[in-house]
Amino acid sequence: MNKGDKLYRIFIYIVLILFALSIIVPVGWVFLASLKENAEFYQNPWSLPAGLYFENFARAWREAHMGEYFLNSVIVTAMALGILLIVALPAAYVLARYRFGGRRLIRTLFMGGLFINVSYIVVPIFLMLVDAGNWIGSPVFLNNRFVLALVYASTALPFTIYLLSSYFQTLPKEYEEAAYVDGSGYMQTMIRVMIPMARPSVITVILFNFLSFWNEYIIALTLMTQDRAKTLPVGLMNLMKAQNAAAQYGQMYAGLVMVMLPTLILYILVQKKLTQGMNVGGLKD
Amino acid sequence: MKRFFTLLITLVLTVSLFASCGLRDDDKDADGKTVLKVAVLESAYGKKMWEDVAAAYEADHQDIKIELTAEKNLEDVIGSKMKSGDYPDVVHLATGREAGLTETMVRENSLADISDILDEKVFGEEKTVKEKLIDGFTDTAATHPYGDDKMYMAPMFYGPCGLFYNAALFAEKNWSLPTTWDEMWELGQKAEVENIALFTYPTAGYFDSLIYALLCETGGVDFYNDCMQYKEGVWDDKNAREALDIVARLASYTEPTTVANANNDNYLKNQQLVLDNKALFMPNGTWVSGEMADAPRAEGFKWGFMALPAIESDKDRYSYTYFEQIWVPENADHKDEAKDFIAYLYSDKAVKIFAESGAIQPIQGVSDMLEGENKLFYSIYDTGAKAVMGGFAATNPVEGVSMVDTLFGTVNSIVSGDKTVDEWQEAIGKASDSLRKALKK
Amino acid sequence: MRKHKGRRAFLSVCTVPALILFAVFMLYPTLNIFVISMYKWGGYSLNKEFVGFDNFVKLFSDAKFWQSFQNTVLLIVVVTVVTMTMALITAAILTREKLRFKGFFWVIFYIPNILSAVVIAAIFSAVYDPSRGLLNTLISFFTGGGTAPVLWLGDQKVVIYSIAIAMIWQAVGYYMVMYTAAMSSVPESMYEAASLEGAGRVRQFFTITIPLIWTNIRTTLTFFIISSINISFLLVRAMTSGGPDGSTEVFLSYMYKQAYTNSSYGYGMAIGVLVFLFSFALSGLVNLVTRRESIDL
Repeated sequence: MNKGDKLYRIFIYIVLILFALSIIVPVGWVFLASLKENAEFYQNPWSLPAGLYFENFARAWREAHMGEYFLNSVIVTAMALGILLIVALPAAYVLARYRFGGRRLIRTLFMGGLFINVSYIVVPIFLMLVDAGNWIGSPVFLNNRFVLALVYASTALPFTIYLLSSYFQTLPKEYEEAAYVDGSGYMQTMIRVMIPMARPSVITVILFNFLSFWNEYIIALTLMTQDRAKTLPVGLMNLMKAQNAAAQYGQMYAGLVMVMLPTLILYILVQKKLTQGMNVGGLKD
Repeated sequence: MKRFFTLLITLVLTVSLFASCGLRDDDKDADGKTVLKVAVLESAYGKKMWEDVAAAYEADHQDIKIELTAEKNLEDVIGSKMKSGDYPDVVHLATGREAGLTETMVRENSLADISDILDEKVFGEEKTVKEKLIDGFTDTAATHPYGDDKMYMAPMFYGPCGLFYNAALFAEKNWSLPTTWDEMWELGQKAEVENIALFTYPTAGYFDSLIYALLCETGGVDFYNDCMQYKEGVWDDKNAREALDIVARLASYTEPTTVANANNDNYLKNQQLVLDNKALFMPNGTWVSGEMADAPRAEGFKWGFMALPAIESDKDRYSYTYFEQIWVPENADHKDEAKDFIAYLYSDKAVKIFAESGAIQPIQGVSDMLEGENKLFYSIYDTGAKAVMGGFAATNPVEGVSMVDTLFGTVNSIVSGDKTVDEWQEAIGKASDSLRKALKK
Repeated sequence: MRKHKGRRAFLSVCTVPALILFAVFMLYPTLNIFVISMYKWGGYSLNKEFVGFDNFVKLFSDAKFWQSFQNTVLLIVVVTVVTMTMALITAAILTREKLRFKGFFWVIFYIPNILSAVVIAAIFSAVYDPSRGLLNTLISFFTGGGTAPVLWLGDQKVVIYSIAIAMIWQAVGYYMVMYTAAMSSVPESMYEAASLEGAGRVRQFFTITIPLIWTNIRTTLTFFIISSINISFLLVRAMTSGGPDGSTEVFLSYMYKQAYTNSSYGYGMAIGVLVFLFSFALSGLVNLVTRRESIDL
């Protein structure tokens, strides 16, 4: 190894380490800040917490109802993921591997869906749910965790179908043909043979959508009008507002940690599998 | 995989069953009582006082059950409900908030006429509401938005706005309080030597009370009213220019980090500057002492509060009186009960409950109930300052034009030097012109 | 493939549920936006007034809208260029070089992407605070505190870049991971051959790596632009509320301001329609500009 090469490697390490620090330091800082007492926020931000003030978490959990919101978030995210997989997997599979009338149209529709931004369709969705509620005479569609999950799953459909069908297209045809020769039906082939083969992609889809459902707050804010139906990010926004009214910094950072921690844990658990299911080279037609 | 799916489906079904039940609210009470839906902003005063008043009202009215919604983000909560046709009966939410829900209700003619409250006898007392209220509180656009004799919003908690400072610091430095703007600028020089900025502000929105009072000082109350009515050419007037110039001069004395924190998430840091003796004055309202109650402060810190300095020593000093409003949506189910409830809020019993939490209503003789800091704050008009009330007249919505953004939001650009006073003045004139055409007739 | 009985039924069972959900919760609301954008409506009352394309005409003479347009475009351009460059370079380094702790860097770089926009906004508020922020206290530690603090969120010339930095911080890791996955499928033999011909790292990067993952770059670019419009809104909303004085207003934050604060719901939805068309057009443009002969292995 010559000298220039060595310098180059040192340079690379320094850049990478600086880059890593720019991520570790602020994120780690939030964790430390969540253990500080209120008065400590008026001192040097680089100082370590004077003690482990876990009271912040206890108060956020109880007084700010973050515990209830946590449960809501878990339920909604789980349901939305379930619905999404049940609906998107067969559709993606069929769109990727069968030629039939209307296929192009359906694919174009879903591709167009990628451009629709949740931020502006959320109120029309809300008004639609209200109308539907008036029509059947009771507002069951609002403050309903199942409906929220349904909306989440629907808005995630275009990207999910796109990702899954890209993956299905890379699988060789021989598997299906072998299954048909064995006398297996369409449905059976899909469920028994093809979907299990798409496992890496399914895992990627689950992770991506878990993150977006868990972190989402604009739809949840609009569709969940009652206090006890709120999800965690909406609760966090509340906590930040409350923090403004009485300057409870510690509690706010404790809330941030509560939102962050589950995603971090899940990510660390599955990070090795993250990219195995990715094939974003575009649909080849 | 098949087992996986069966599991998944079972899971989804169970959870959705669990999720869809038990999250509905009831409109009818089981005992046949009328349910009155009262929605209030949970502000710095807290929500307990509202719970107490609601309980007192229920005790006095056996046929009414109060369903109280008290939220910090009330607009988010009732806004979407109202879009869906579910209207509260009584709403306590002031104008001048970021989300502007009350303004929207006014612009859309969606408030109920509640003028008859004024002549209603307060529950259990001999006087009418009108007789109990302090004069002047039902004379402005803040209660009569359309300029006619109909009241659409009733005045609730009020408080003078003005400049807040650390009285202990002035005593320590042996500085006297400026009574004219010239003295103000002199003080600015003196403070600069000590590394203290003359001025800071929480957000640009807080300039509303300051600019309203300034317009009265430079051009008199009639001129101020012309501005509020978007009269033609008022903003080209030399009085308007004088007021804007004073703001620009204040801007040059502003603590340098202020702009960076002048948004809804960080404004407390600007208020902290006064507590830390880094800035002398800030425009604010009486709620600020409660808002900053837990914040650390310079040793010996003591709140001080004064009206704006005068233009010249023989001219009047003004202080804007802010008050919150309570109103009834036109589409509410129980309008009569709602009005009755609002009248009840002016009873001695309710006034006392509110006052204990520091929320003061404009009731004759309320100053006798005050103590501590509040006594100081509310005595501002006894020491010679004149009161200003009201605000801009109601208009139909004009797309892309916002007086709040143009008149107050631009201050951030004046402070940072990104815009000149000329540009500012011209933009205000333009906004005023387009809003004049949209005035409610 | 042989035609089996029940093919049509199978295809329907598979596609219809997705189509229904998509139509109800995405297509219909989007069409709704187009309709409402032609009305003058405050949002709460029952009086809607049909005004045709009036809202769009007004938009063209609305200086604040153009400011938000400019800010959005600036953010998209700056953030895209910087993020893509950084992601490609780091990905290339992590795949091509023999480094220690590769896995560690890989894991760390992706973390910002899993955080909620609310969390990111809170983190950067703490970083950017003028007197007690992590950044300014660090700077004054090195300069000795003599210089005036940088107003990351207060200086109108700086603030839009402060938002851009937060967006880049958030996105680099994600695209780096995407590109690492793509780059590791480029066969080693191609690099070996290039090395023998004397091509250095930089040349290999431009002549082998980039062309071979070009399709990936194209696709990710489209997604990136769409998500940038959304992320910029979420961050601006929580960090500056569009301020100071409109200097960080972006498309969607201005839409919200008009639709809710200024009682002009129809007008706000007209902005929504333009955002939809804009992102469509921009992706089309990007697609066109980046079209190359595709290289298959």
